[in-house]
Amino acid sequence: MIWEELNPSLIFTDVEAATSDDVMKFVGGAFTREGYTKDSYVDALIEREAEFPTGLDIDGVGVAIPHTAVTHVNKSGIAIAVLTNPVAFVQMGTDDEYTDVQIVFMLSVVDPNQHIDELQQIIAIIQDKGVLEQLLTAKTPSEIIDLIKEKENTL
Amino acid sequence: MSKKVIVACGGAVATSTVAANKIVELCKKNGIDMELCQCRISEIASNLPADLIVTTSKVKRDFGVPLITGMPFISGVGQAKTEAAILKVLRAE
Repeated sequence: MIWEELNPSLIFTDVEAATSDDVMKFVGGAFTREGYTKDSYVDALIEREAEFPTGLDIDGVGVAIPHTAVTHVNKSGIAIAVLTNPVAFVQMGTDDEYTDVQIVFMLSVVDPNQHIDELQQIIAIIQDKGVLEQLLTAKTPSEIIDLIKEKENTL
Repeated sequence: MSKKVIVACGGAVATSTVAANKIVELCKKNGIDMELCQCRISEIASNLPADLIVTTSKVKRDFGVPLITGMPFISGVGQAKTEAAILKVLRAE
């Protein structure tokens, strides 16, 4: 279960950001501050997003799942940020189509093959527009954790 | 004969892992014998030949092998259509 692993220090509501780089610095910086990732993580994240974008349009709700190579990661984790105003991210699988992202699920992954279940859980959460809409209205990290717990109990 | 499927993304970290797992399940459910190769986009060429390539990033190069985008496995939008397209390629002789 993902919700059990969620660290409230890595969950943010009402994040003010103007660009996707701002989001990377803010959320990626928290990952590094909490010891999940190395100092090189944020730059690597920005570089990778430019080459392999992660924006997704889930039936009208914009989500991004930034992540980068395992070499920049100390331990696995998930950071969640709800943005006050949508921020343009390039859509996954394109290099020129943008999607207005409102929720960011940032991942620090140590060994993808060890975490297939978690990765699939995250994707299942992201694919549920109803959950995304509820996450958008959450006021506190603990509300976000509760919403994810509820969703996971139905999976 | 078993079919070789290459599943690739930028860093072989998250999206290709999820897409690869869904393709393995799809093949199992449909009785298709397949060999999976999960790698980075930059490693596709060195893993050929293959019967099918699925990627979650944009690939401009033509590898001479059917290429299907695996984004629907991540977004959930259009997943049934993508599964049908994959089965069609893998069932062809």
